[in-house]
Amino acid sequence: MDRRNFLKVVAAGATVVAVNPSLIRGNLYASDGTLYKAYERTQLTDASGNPIKASILKKEVNYIFNYPYASTPCMLINLPQATEKDVKLKSDSGEEYVWKSGVGKEGTIVAYVAICTHQLTHPTPNESFIAYVPKAVKTMAYDKSGVIVCSSHLSAFDAGAGGRVLGGAATQPLCAVVLEHKEDDTLWAVGILGQDSFHDYFKEFRPELKEFYGGMAEAKKLVSFSVKTVTLSEFTKEIIQY
Amino acid sequence: MNNSRRDLLKFAGISAAAAAVTGCSAVTGGASSTASDTKTAACKLLGKHQVVIIGGGWGGLTVAKELKKIDSKFDVTIIEKNDSFMSCPFSNANLGGLNGVNLSMLTHDYAQAVEKNGYGMLTAVVTGIDREKKVVHTSMGGVAYDILVLAPGIDYNYKEQFPTWSDAKIAQARRAAPGALVPGGEHVTLDRMVKNMDDGDVIITVPSGKFRCPPAPFERASMIANFMKNEGIEGKVIMLNETDSISKGAAFKESWKEINGDMVEHRSNCRIVDVDFDKKEITYEQTVYKDEDDTDGVKTSKTIKYSVFNLIPHNMSNPVIEMSGVATTPDAFKKVKMASSADKPVSFQTQSDASVYAVGDVVGHAIPPSGQTAIWSGKECAKEIAHVLHGKSYSVASALPYTSANVCYSMVNGNPEEGIMVNHEFMVAGPVIGSKGSVPKGDEANNKFRSTGLGKAAREWYRGAMRDLFN
Repeated sequence: MDRRNFLKVVAAGATVVAVNPSLIRGNLYASDGTLYKAYERTQLTDASGNPIKASILKKEVNYIFNYPYASTPCMLINLPQATEKDVKLKSDSGEEYVWKSGVGKEGTIVAYVAICTHQLTHPTPNESFIAYVPKAVKTMAYDKSGVIVCSSHLSAFDAGAGGRVLGGAATQPLCAVVLEHKEDDTLWAVGILGQDSFHDYFKEFRPELKEFYGGMAEAKKLVSFSVKTVTLSEFTKEIIQY
Repeated sequence: MNNSRRDLLKFAGISAAAAAVTGCSAVTGGASSTASDTKTAACKLLGKHQVVIIGGGWGGLTVAKELKKIDSKFDVTIIEKNDSFMSCPFSNANLGGLNGVNLSMLTHDYAQAVEKNGYGMLTAVVTGIDREKKVVHTSMGGVAYDILVLAPGIDYNYKEQFPTWSDAKIAQARRAAPGALVPGGEHVTLDRMVKNMDDGDVIITVPSGKFRCPPAPFERASMIANFMKNEGIEGKVIMLNETDSISKGAAFKESWKEINGDMVEHRSNCRIVDVDFDKKEITYEQTVYKDEDDTDGVKTSKTIKYSVFNLIPHNMSNPVIEMSGVATTPDAFKKVKMASSADKPVSFQTQSDASVYAVGDVVGHAIPPSGQTAIWSGKECAKEIAHVLHGKSYSVASALPYTSANVCYSMVNGNPEEGIMVNHEFMVAGPVIGSKGSVPKGDEANNKFRSTGLGKAAREWYRGAMRDLFN
């Protein structure tokens, strides 16, 4: 558990997940809870603020929402087929953890932090190098499509298996956003699974974050209550994909 | 890395390690009091480290960072002659005058990387290597090691290319026509020459044999042409290539033809005969072959004048390799011969000495001498060393074949910014690591190698690599 972030959540006066962070709805993600961090349960909405219904998400479209911080982009994808289940993953430091599965009626909806674990490449309002490559589109990074590719150094990640590395320079899985799908078909982000690099991200991209979010304090604000979800082509001016 | 409690503990570990390194310099002071016991400064021992890395470039920094990442208890120190880092990759974008690119963007201090990653760094020049006693002699004193990593990069081989040139003439060549493949002052010099140039031609030579960053001279031609065009400087960029081979050839030729027109000219099979640096004149001999069967060709001698001359001489392993006495290949570059055995067919261990490893441009593997390759080599070399220190075994072959092992971009245009790329796969190829490159079309819709996307990717590639080395 990230103690500092935990305190921030408390300070924000938001609804803190008060359970053992490694347990969400009874599912054990990581044996010691190190690689799972619960953040505020946040509802995904569309650009006008209306709750997103899982069933209206288009297949294989890249959606972006910022979570758990106002400036940390995450990708939301409705995959063409159900994901693998209970995928065992390993961080660079050797810690093992488990990614449960996609959510939604068919178990096809997944979300990952869109910050490449290799060298922190991520979508900005100007350009994006990292995205899910639909099955019908070829990629240089891997012999099959339907994977997440960072086109900066051509790392490929398995969208249907917790962000596991498939190829390229990355050695660590993408961080997953743990999603909940409610009976009313709404989607909620509840935490981050995997070795995150938010600290480095804030440090490395200070000038850009200031430019895009108005200041570091704004950029580092934890999202609360709900977060807007837009398509990647709405989020960024140019999608660079190889 | 996040601010979790665990990491705080890790930081504590780093402070301890950093203290140990500071201890190294404390030993320096301490040793001076016992200096009377030793006859020469070279005998003064500064300290001993588990792993000593010679060279704080792309490969050496990565070995150090990865070792500390694998086990923070490892005692790792880099010996580097420069007190700050300058990147050769992306430096052509500076010569091109691309928006926001300057020398400061290419320059990094080592302080943050040392603080954060917990390895040590000694700023000193290596003067000798005693593999029997396992000591590296430096301008500051001796450093003992259990494992030594050679990551010194390249040097120029003026002597081989110009056997009749005196030392004074070679020194003049270094000043008046810097190669600018070895970062530091040479890049500053070439930057000044290009940015202050008068009307006239820029000549870039392309050496034969293995040289650092094979697309560099060609990207440099594109970028300097971009600068000259923007500044309204009258003149051409002419490449005098000792061979007829052009890395990413089809892609560069497309750009030169469609972007630069007559302004960029590539001349094949040109051997530099002599240079008059005072008159700014180059005499070269060009061989023109009728067809593939024509092995003699027709030789013509030409003399041209230049405004700026970037003489990129033949490359060779940095003399540190020769000092170490490890076996090298018989060619003029003197690549380090790498170990190969039944259970470890390819390795970054040297063939000569199980305690000595090599990474970066000096390796005897058939992989491109590029920044990204050096980073990958550094990571694999660190894994090999960490396993040895932990009493286990690791084979680099287990990481091969490896697709997208070396992704390398070159800038070919400034307005709009456009780039081209090559993508290499690495594989086991006999006793060494081999590679296979492909140059894809960045703009498939228009059937072009170059694209604005690849231009943006080139910038992000560089930023990412710097985050990797200095974060």
